[in-house]
Amino acid sequence: MEALETFVVESAVPAEAAAYRSIVADVISELMLGGAIGRIKIILRPEDSLFQMAILLRGSQPPVRLADFAGLGYGVMERKEVKISIREEKYLPKLLEKLWARYGRGQVLQPERNTLIVRQDQDPEKEIESLGSMLIADPKESLQSRLIEMAIRSTPEGFRVRYHAMKENSFIFVASEDTLKPEWIQQAHQMLAELQEEQ
Amino acid sequence: MAAVLEPYIYEGGIHKHTLITELLEDLGGYLIQKIPAATEVTLIMLIPKKDVPLIEELGKKLLGKLTSAPLTGTEIAVVSPTLAAHHLPHSACDVAEHLRRDGANTNMIGLARGMGRRVALSADYERRLINEHDIALFSFGTFADCIKNKKPKLFEGIDIPIIATGGPDLRTEDVPNADVYVGNIGRVAHRLRKSEELSSLDIMNKKVAEVVGVMREDMSKDPLSVLPPRVMKEIYEQIPQIEQVLTPAPITLQLDGLRVKLPYAEFHKKVEDLEFDEGTRLIELARVTPSKMKNYILIKIKRESEVGFTI
Repeated sequence: MEALETFVVESAVPAEAAAYRSIVADVISELMLGGAIGRIKIILRPEDSLFQMAILLRGSQPPVRLADFAGLGYGVMERKEVKISIREEKYLPKLLEKLWARYGRGQVLQPERNTLIVRQDQDPEKEIESLGSMLIADPKESLQSRLIEMAIRSTPEGFRVRYHAMKENSFIFVASEDTLKPEWIQQAHQMLAELQEEQ
Repeated sequence: MAAVLEPYIYEGGIHKHTLITELLEDLGGYLIQKIPAATEVTLIMLIPKKDVPLIEELGKKLLGKLTSAPLTGTEIAVVSPTLAAHHLPHSACDVAEHLRRDGANTNMIGLARGMGRRVALSADYERRLINEHDIALFSFGTFADCIKNKKPKLFEGIDIPIIATGGPDLRTEDVPNADVYVGNIGRVAHRLRKSEELSSLDIMNKKVAEVVGVMREDMSKDPLSVLPPRVMKEIYEQIPQIEQVLTPAPITLQLDGLRVKLPYAEFHKKVEDLEFDEGTRLIELARVTPSKMKNYILIKIKRESEVGFTI
């Protein structure tokens, strides 16, 4: 499934649907969800105060461990230093946070942009092994919170009665100003089923 | 009656810009607001009509630019249904910024419960605050149905001219109780910078300027007993504490009054006792009341018919 291969917004007035599509597109790009969403369909009925959305996600990315984006080696052997050479800078803040928590701020040095030196007193070899499998970022966790943020931002603001269903690779969101009718939720599930059937 | 004053904005380098303000003072014009930004400065001023070429010439010498700013001296309330990310910063802030480019002073007002269709409402305090301004501009969303049928209930209790902006291309008659409707400025989640978006903002400015023109014309039938910029000048000269106020516009001009950003309890006596060369005090010419905005002072100037003379 390609990223955003289906992106439909339907409303009674085509011009309004197009305007709303641009809002949702802006929200998606702001929250960097473009790569995560495969198919998305939104139906808007302002006259009934109703917003329905069904999203089919692409396969989610695996958790990122330190060894995935950095090389680990020895620093000065006598001082049992561990040297970390980073290939992807975007994980650096999270990595530093974890290292500081584990070794203390004074023990983590950054002599150069992509190099970290950790001072510690354990056996360096074992330490390298355990550092390599350290969990740095879990895209799935942030994806869920970003999806919910996206749903809330793209819904008209007054629609505060909400229903949502999140599964492994799908997300359904229905919102209205009034009590939700069961058939509205059913329709949203139907929308998701249609998205899944698409080839 | 004083000379006819024309509103202009000067944008140029900060170097030697005092030459402009000095010349302006000599000509009998008023400096409304000075906005320095690093090496640049923006001066909003009222220039006597026949002397505009003099300022223009000097501005050219200093490599600055003088442009007409028809909204100078107005305070406009830009009202958004709430302060949530749905409405702000785009497009409501873009709207406010565009109005400021023509010299207006804008205040963003986010209603507490203005969102939604059936549930939208405004509070008494909010309506009174909005009514302190010259014009209220309501920034609405994408759906024609909401703008036509549901949102106009937010206009109830607003006595000043109402301008509504929104996404769909409607006629003003379709929006009940609005004085002007401007389309193509609906809810967006990005900064308005495409040419068609900017041109709808230009149309909005033009329509707001038309409304202001009509208001000024109405006022000229029964003129104010003293011009607001004159009062502003006297406040700067007689109440030195105004120099310590840190807001961008310590005194905000309105079409028929001013907002003075000093605490009411402490300073209203001083403001009321403001003296003019003609021998009158401000309290004879205006109503000085506490503003709904913070603890500021709101001055509304009385008309000639009420006072019996103008100065």
